Amino acid sequence: MAMTDDQRLLAERTASTRMTASEISRLPIDPGTGEALLPRAQPGYYPGYHTLSQQNFWDEATRNLVVGRVKQVPPLRFFSPEEAQLMQAILDRLLPQDDRDEAHKIPLLPFIDERLYTGRINGYRYAHMPPDADAYRLGLQGIDAIARHLHGQAFIALEPQKQEQVLLTLHDGTPPAGKEVWQRVSVNHFWMLLLQDAVSVYYAHPFAWDEVGYGGPAYPRGYIRLENGRPESWEVEEQRYAWAPPPTTLSGEASRAGEHGLDEPRRSDSGTH
Amino acid sequence: MKSPLFGPFKHPQPGVHTLGPLQVLDVPMRRYQPDEEIDFCIVGVGSAGGVLLQRLARAGFRVVGLEAGPFWDVERDWVSDEAGSHKLYWNDLRITDGSEPLTFGENNSGKGVGGGSVHWAAFAPRLHPSDFRVFSEDGVGADWPISYWDLKPYYEMLEKEMPVSGPAYFPWGDPHGYPYGPHPLGGVGNVLVRGCTALGIRVCPGGPVAINAGAHADRPHCIYRGFCIQGCKVGAKQSTLYSHVPDGIACGAEIRDNCMAAKINLNDEGFVTGVTYFDPEKRECEQKARVVIVSGYSIETPRLLLNSACPRFENGLANSSGVVGKYLMAQAGNVILGRFPGLVRMYKAPPAHALTEEFYETDPKRGFARGFAIQTVGPLPIAFAKQLIAAKGAWGWSLRREMMDYNHWAALGLLGEILPWPENRVELDKADRDQYGLPVAHVTFNLHENDKQLIAYGKEKVKEVMWAAGAEEVVQEARYAHLVGAARMGSDPRTSVVTSFGQTHDIPNLFIMDGSVFPTQGSANPGLTIQALAARTADYLIAERDNVLARHAGTRRAPPIRHDLAPVGTSGRGVPRLKGKKEAKHR
Repeated sequence: MAMTDDQRLLAERTASTRMTASEISRLPIDPGTGEALLPRAQPGYYPGYHTLSQQNFWDEATRNLVVGRVKQVPPLRFFSPEEAQLMQAILDRLLPQDDRDEAHKIPLLPFIDERLYTGRINGYRYAHMPPDADAYRLGLQGIDAIARHLHGQAFIALEPQKQEQVLLTLHDGTPPAGKEVWQRVSVNHFWMLLLQDAVSVYYAHPFAWDEVGYGGPAYPRGYIRLENGRPESWEVEEQRYAWAPPPTTLSGEASRAGEHGLDEPRRSDSGTH
Repeated sequence: MKSPLFGPFKHPQPGVHTLGPLQVLDVPMRRYQPDEEIDFCIVGVGSAGGVLLQRLARAGFRVVGLEAGPFWDVERDWVSDEAGSHKLYWNDLRITDGSEPLTFGENNSGKGVGGGSVHWAAFAPRLHPSDFRVFSEDGVGADWPISYWDLKPYYEMLEKEMPVSGPAYFPWGDPHGYPYGPHPLGGVGNVLVRGCTALGIRVCPGGPVAINAGAHADRPHCIYRGFCIQGCKVGAKQSTLYSHVPDGIACGAEIRDNCMAAKINLNDEGFVTGVTYFDPEKRECEQKARVVIVSGYSIETPRLLLNSACPRFENGLANSSGVVGKYLMAQAGNVILGRFPGLVRMYKAPPAHALTEEFYETDPKRGFARGFAIQTVGPLPIAFAKQLIAAKGAWGWSLRREMMDYNHWAALGLLGEILPWPENRVELDKADRDQYGLPVAHVTFNLHENDKQLIAYGKEKVKEVMWAAGAEEVVQEARYAHLVGAARMGSDPRTSVVTSFGQTHDIPNLFIMDGSVFPTQGSANPGLTIQALAARTADYLIAERDNVLARHAGTRRAPPIRHDLAPVGTSGRGVPRLKGKKEAKHR
């Protein structure tokens, strides 16, 4: 039987990139051509912009901290190997990095593990939540229970879209299984806990600063071009390109539609004013 | 490396505190012996505690400040990094409850010398005259036992000591001018000014903020790097660590850092005798003092009083009214995010640099009491990502994609007055204890009808401004900012904890002075008012020294204003203040 154009294209890309069809299906696409965009060292609209290249202009304490964050990834001490595998699979969907090449993926799990191992918190716990360590252990069980309920398999064995289906029930506040877990752990707070922990690690990394065009550490040099979004001499102009999330993903559009199932509005713990 | 601004940086040395690139604190600090009875023991060296410590030491008293967190060497300890600044906040466990549970830590609670002033955004507006008469004028909330005019001289004094940068003419409340010039605008300030101007709303660019627009004595000017709430490593943004503590130490005050107060001790005659605390090695110690001043802010102050319950005060020290812990307030702090076609780069410039108080006062047409302000905010990437999760329900690919447009977004903050309610309160948690074995705070927070209406109206108004500025998408996140109340001042001992000077009604040698004494909060950031009240209390303690040190109640009359106790180099500087006509009329 003759191949369709799509199949032929896929076969060519598979051959040229040594990626499997399944791996290619996880990639963002060019919405014009529908073609997968291959993983790159630096996604985002600021090509050539590297905060780390500016480290000689940072103060010593900041340089040590940020360079250490890149070079010294902490060992896993909180999660068991099984939990770590599940947690990694969840993080791969909460903050997918399929668009990053292997050398430029940002490690999230080790830093979340370190926070839980050292017991670092943000100064509060909701009255009806267990301590974060227990919330994570229970929540992971709850996620696996939903996976088995919906798809008859462990979460880690599922295709990305089915994993997203599982997570979407948490986002919507309507988990269909694991009732005994969600009685002890508020779905709403657990969802915020997971996501806030994930972004607290991802957007602390210089690779993510490069991706979003953030100036990074700025002492003692400071900024002089304050208005109209103009770049400093070491920053770069934005160069946008069209891309869309992988066609099969369920997380491609932000949506608050599920919130009617929640007992209170979602609130972050960021300090702004 | 040679610095672009100041020459080579000094490397930290033991026993020497580097405060910003220019300020070095190498005066040997006075050390009091454990059995030595001092005049004043101040619990918490933050916004209020720092000012009190400086004033009382300069007036010649023996003063010790106990601080639960570290005495920062900022060149060594602080970083120009969002995640790395976690240690600046009070991260010890608190249980948060109620229909609108408050978040703590980086949101509103500091730890270490300088306290909350280390991580505040430094907006420094005054309260309005109407804020002191909320019950009289609107029939809700409470009146203060003092008027704006009692506090005004202290506002003026602190605006020079901090100092505060702002416009020559600030039109709201009691119109006034600022001693130091305003800041240039950043991208978010542009948005606020553009939106307000399009709608005919008066707006104030460039301040009032307690950030140096020009160099001031040994403190450099702002470098516009946007890390205000991560601690100003530059030394341009005021914290009491920069503005008052060095002068206090030079005048003989001692600060014991990493010392956590556990209990205030009471003798059989009903006077406090000192403070039991845990030293850095967690050994239990006691500091005897003739007067104890609690400056632990709205959660730790009531917690310490409740943890100091004793046979004479079974419900908590100085709590015969039952009001300790009650009437806790936070301000509505909804963040409104707007996406613009062009770039904003909101990480540049101080988050706090423009505001409008056009909606501050009660407007009967709106159907609710009191009002709100609109202010610039400038979340860095982690905070912004969290806001997108809450405001848009973003996750997965949508979160990655929205975040790539970080530089297209601007953020404005609502700052709305929430009224004092007795059921919004701090209690001791029945189950959880901290690392010292002390019961942690259990905080309950709910909204009432007036609060809900105010927030609903206010956030729509901020959205209107954002649209008028040219945003192509506007979303918002509900949240709360600042803490005040929970040990409020008043003239009636049955319904309040302290006098306007912070003296507890129950125990003449126990004072409370920090944000917890506010009866209402207005729509102004509380930092300036906290420091102004602390300076006023210091004047009272100095004027009434004979009574207070002898454990007598004192006259409770307004003390003479001591301009001569300002930190060196701050008095009489800045442009001469504008003399408004209103001033003479109201006096």
